[in-house]
Amino acid sequence: MFGYVRPSLSRLSEEDKRRFHAVYCGLCRALEARCGTAARFILNYDFAFLAVLLSPPQAPEPLHRACMAHPVAGRDYFPLSDALALAADCSVILAWWQLQDAIRDHGAAESVKYRAAAAALGRAYRRAGQARPDFDRATRDHLERLARLEEERCPSIDRAAEEFAALLGAIGHQVEDPVLSRVLEQMLYHLGRWIYLVDAADDLKDDFDRGCYNPLIYRFDLTSGALTDEARESLVLSLDHSIRRMAAAYELWDFGVWSSIIQSTVYEGLFLVGKAVLEGTFHAAGRRSGGRDEEKL
Amino acid sequence: MTDPYQILNVSPDASDEEVKKAYRELARKYHPDNYHDNPLADLAQEKMKEINAAYDAIQRQRSGRGSAGGSQSAYQRQSYSGYQRQSQSSYAGNAAFQRVRMAINRNDLGMAEQLLAQISDHDGEWNYLKGTICYRRGWVDEARRYYQTACQMDPGNAEYRQALNYVENGGSAYQPEGYEVYSTGCGNANLCGKLACAYLACNACSLGGIRYCYCC
Repeated sequence: MFGYVRPSLSRLSEEDKRRFHAVYCGLCRALEARCGTAARFILNYDFAFLAVLLSPPQAPEPLHRACMAHPVAGRDYFPLSDALALAADCSVILAWWQLQDAIRDHGAAESVKYRAAAAALGRAYRRAGQARPDFDRATRDHLERLARLEEERCPSIDRAAEEFAALLGAIGHQVEDPVLSRVLEQMLYHLGRWIYLVDAADDLKDDFDRGCYNPLIYRFDLTSGALTDEARESLVLSLDHSIRRMAAAYELWDFGVWSSIIQSTVYEGLFLVGKAVLEGTFHAAGRRSGGRDEEKL
Repeated sequence: MTDPYQILNVSPDASDEEVKKAYRELARKYHPDNYHDNPLADLAQEKMKEINAAYDAIQRQRSGRGSAGGSQSAYQRQSYSGYQRQSQSSYAGNAAFQRVRMAINRNDLGMAEQLLAQISDHDGEWNYLKGTICYRRGWVDEARRYYQTACQMDPGNAEYRQALNYVENGGSAYQPEGYEVYSTGCGNANLCGKLACAYLACNACSLGGIRYCYCC
């Protein structure tokens, strides 16, 4: 997960913003409590949004304490809950398998940083994997299939996106209520699909220059690292549909106090992020300025 | 039954106009057009039934007719099955294709795909059904291409054309009050106008001219 998911801040009340902040900090603490200090460094908005989706409709009173990142003022955070524990475990498992993927994709010299990160995350991953063996297995299987599709230079963006989409969707199976489970599976499937496609658009130039697989190159027979107008139009249609399917699923469940955060994400935030990525202005807005993007809130 | 006012999220003291407004907003949200070939269409249909029943109940209470008889919502008169409705009218011929359509209606996409794989003649109908399976899965890019092929092979078929239009107009076009219609391509879709058409098409009842609710 890459940090693309953003609620639209202008739509949120001060209370909503404080609550989103408290989820972010709560997830950070949950990562540390369940998987150790190293796990905190994978934290980003995508995982915080996952925690929001998994949270029960009523939020507890946030606690307040100083932490490593905010030793003086401290921060509000939600105490460890089933939802934060699930989000933390799934985040670690995903991050670890994605690192394995990156190690395989890069040469010995280039993969040093990924190996270092994987070594740091090893213990956290083992704990999370033991807590959620089904999700661990599903993640490994889907990412293996994705790797095969990449080797085959798969020209279908739907097939390539399917694996990442289905593995995020599988988090929905961890929830007991049958209706909520279906709603979450659909929302997370399309969130995964959207993230995969947005990331493909974001990496297109790099991948093209380095001769790496990118589904957009093969789907649209691109002869440069930029999308043609026609390719762009097709990609926009896919991105829009996935956001709208998320919104349609969101309306079928009462997410309680989280509603306005989710609503501002699926009716506005994701469209704006996708647009910024396609226009090449997303990084200027500060995405990869560091692993932790909490300060931008 | 749960309190109908609670379902429509209005106070029992609300005016007729306020009740109607609340009903319309919910009907717009759960309208079958927003869940066309969506795997959660059955859940949306339940919601729609609930709000129609609540609106009917309030109407009956307020007109003093009590619970017997009374008006029945447009939605209940026409049960929702957009897909089946069209399949009956347009394609009754080939039994193999009928089985594929039945599997799609059961949401058994694996079976539908298997049945389709056994048919060697990839005509317009085959491409249309393949597109529908893709669309239900969320595979919008392939769905669109199969629908395009179906339309090229059989340009006069309204069902294929309608499916292609739905995809190309961006699918569901609902947005809550206060939000604009967005697209990744142009931000605010009022600029391109194209997306707004999907909902206008709903109001004009292009999907067979059947009323699902009071809002169109």
